[in-house]
Amino acid sequence: MNAKSDVDALRGQVRRWLQDNVPSGWRSAMTGTDQEAFVRAQRDWFFKLVQAGYATPHWPETWPGGGRTLAEQRVIFEEVAHADAPRLILYFIALYHAACTLFERGTNAQQDKYLQGILDGDIWCQGFSEPNAGSDLASLKTRAERRGDHYVVNGQKIWSTMAQYADRCLLLARSSSTGPPQAGLTYLLLDMRTPGVVVRPISQITGDDEFAEIFFNEVEVPVEERIGEEGEGWSVAQTTLASERGLTLVELSQRMRYALPLLAAAIRDKGGSGDLTWHREFGRLVARVDAACAVADQYLLKRIAGEEAPGDASIVKLCYSRTLREFTSLGLAVGGLESQYDRGFMRGATQETGNWMVDFINSYNWTIAGGSDEIQRNIIAERLLGMPREPRTWQVPEGL
Amino acid sequence: MQDNLAQMAASVRRVLDDSDLAAPEQASWEQLVELGWLLVPIPEDLEGLDFGIPGACVLLMELGRRLAAVPFLPAMLTVDALCQSNWKDRKQWLEGIIGGKHLATPLAECAIQVEQQRYLGMRLNGVAKAVQSANDAKYILVWSEESARIVLVSLAQPQVEVVSRRTWDSTRRFFDVRFDEAPCPARFVIAEGAHAKSLARRLRVFRDFALAADSLGGAIALLEMINDHLITRRQFGRPLALFQALKHRCADLKMLTVSAEATLWENLGRLGRTSDSSEAAKAALATKYLACAAYGKVAEEALQLYGGMAMAVEHPCHLFFKRAMLNRQIGHAEDCCEIKLADAFLAN
Repeated sequence: MNAKSDVDALRGQVRRWLQDNVPSGWRSAMTGTDQEAFVRAQRDWFFKLVQAGYATPHWPETWPGGGRTLAEQRVIFEEVAHADAPRLILYFIALYHAACTLFERGTNAQQDKYLQGILDGDIWCQGFSEPNAGSDLASLKTRAERRGDHYVVNGQKIWSTMAQYADRCLLLARSSSTGPPQAGLTYLLLDMRTPGVVVRPISQITGDDEFAEIFFNEVEVPVEERIGEEGEGWSVAQTTLASERGLTLVELSQRMRYALPLLAAAIRDKGGSGDLTWHREFGRLVARVDAACAVADQYLLKRIAGEEAPGDASIVKLCYSRTLREFTSLGLAVGGLESQYDRGFMRGATQETGNWMVDFINSYNWTIAGGSDEIQRNIIAERLLGMPREPRTWQVPEGL
Repeated sequence: MQDNLAQMAASVRRVLDDSDLAAPEQASWEQLVELGWLLVPIPEDLEGLDFGIPGACVLLMELGRRLAAVPFLPAMLTVDALCQSNWKDRKQWLEGIIGGKHLATPLAECAIQVEQQRYLGMRLNGVAKAVQSANDAKYILVWSEESARIVLVSLAQPQVEVVSRRTWDSTRRFFDVRFDEAPCPARFVIAEGAHAKSLARRLRVFRDFALAADSLGGAIALLEMINDHLITRRQFGRPLALFQALKHRCADLKMLTVSAEATLWENLGRLGRTSDSSEAAKAALATKYLACAAYGKVAEEALQLYGGMAMAVEHPCHLFFKRAMLNRQIGHAEDCCEIKLADAFLAN
């Protein structure tokens, strides 16, 4: 009973704070703007959240704002969605992936060196994916070769969010080619200003350049910047990937629910045509959005109760990505010719902005990134349905 | 699901696992009467187990898994209608139902006029559709939000005709009940006016959740069957489950059933005491829609994934398939769910 009333009290506090602090008009200010203005706006919003203690609810209680239970963190995410606050894209890797990896696997020295920096505004990026190692992450080829008290890194990473602004990088690289592919990986913390690091933003098909490639040419990383032992990189990377613990999808699915009126308005605006197809598709979508919210919420309750099963998270991700595709695809259909005019795009928003062509394209981020739909289906089938894994070997057929 | 409900589900499953799929109606009915399952949604002050609509849904899900033939779903509605009414004879009628007397009620949306006629008293006209096991009942409970009256009508009178309608779904028996100026004495009016309207709204919500639960039970059981089949059946020298095209279809079905089930518990959890509100109606519609869509999709895929064997009557696949198709059309029918859910948003 006490826990519940505490959570309710927190909800009230967060809601009031958001009412006073969410930058008004951020959506229009962030539409058609340049990357620099976006970075400034993200920085301002980040420091507001840090000061209020709402950026770090998942940190240990020795830190300002930290020590919140998962149930309390959920409230904060829900309220952020409800208030239609900007998403903290620029700092998400720092606050979640980097911080959780440091808390769980970092040495005291590493924690002392980096955590305060995160609160002071250090931007982190993630260097995991490579051009030839996306879904098959364990096959990555960027080398980290031990030379004395340094690793020397050579190779290329891709799809690093906001790497062009990053101060530091969570880098997963190959230190050995023997044994199974997962066994030869090592996890390093890299200063992005080290000589030999080159970042090239990727021009995306929406006009945005939110992602970047990172090239490494003889980049030296001191051995003390390694997390875990040499060859333990895969297991450290799992800690990194589990860091947001399903909270993001609680937030995003709620945001999708709050965006339904946007689509409803678009259908109404088409005016009296009474298109029953859209009408019915919209009704179907309302139910599916309900399901996406419910499945994210029930998953989080399972986590809170310590009853999560391997594969559960994949259901949440797949359900969200499929629903988002349906949402944006209906928007695109209803938007008609108007949605084909390039009106720029909105930075820092979620996937539902009413700029339907951009929203639709962005929905592919969710079916491709963070473990594609196909990978999620493999996980669901293998972990939850007990189906056999793909055979590991394949031979080039004769004649090829 | 709450712990006490999960315990109940487990004990019900132990009982039902010993019975056949679509087990004979009579014996199953006697068994569930004896085990006191009809007491589950009844409040404590009426000497029930006080598990409410969520409790009924837990049982219905288990019964859905086994394609139960018994009219437990309509019984949950009639029990609830009596519990929620202020009718003076409700205790006595409740005892009758708990003791195994079947009281019929329609599962389809249907328009039945209940009118007070001068000199003649109350008269009913219209057709009640999808009335399960009506030939075993002596009375039918007729309710609709529109007529503002909830009444019990004797089936044994010349103005009432009970007509068997053989559905493709052979796991349950359905009837039309036709009223042609059928009389209903004033003492059989169990609710009137605003109270009747609110109770009818609650019954609709209950019915849609109940059909969702039956559908989910069936969908989950059938997906388990498909799953086993793909793991055991070998073609081209390997299990079918090794073909990614098939494996991924099963993963999609799993996502559909898990998310529909999450919606059921989430929405039942929020139901509380507001079971006659428009929010509750929307939640029930969405849940019913998702559960029936999931059942339908699993059933369609089952036919394809089992291949030829699913087309033979000996295999139980078709029983699930036909029940799934029927469930989409009773309660709020599928197209009606879609349109009502859209209307709720578009009207604002």
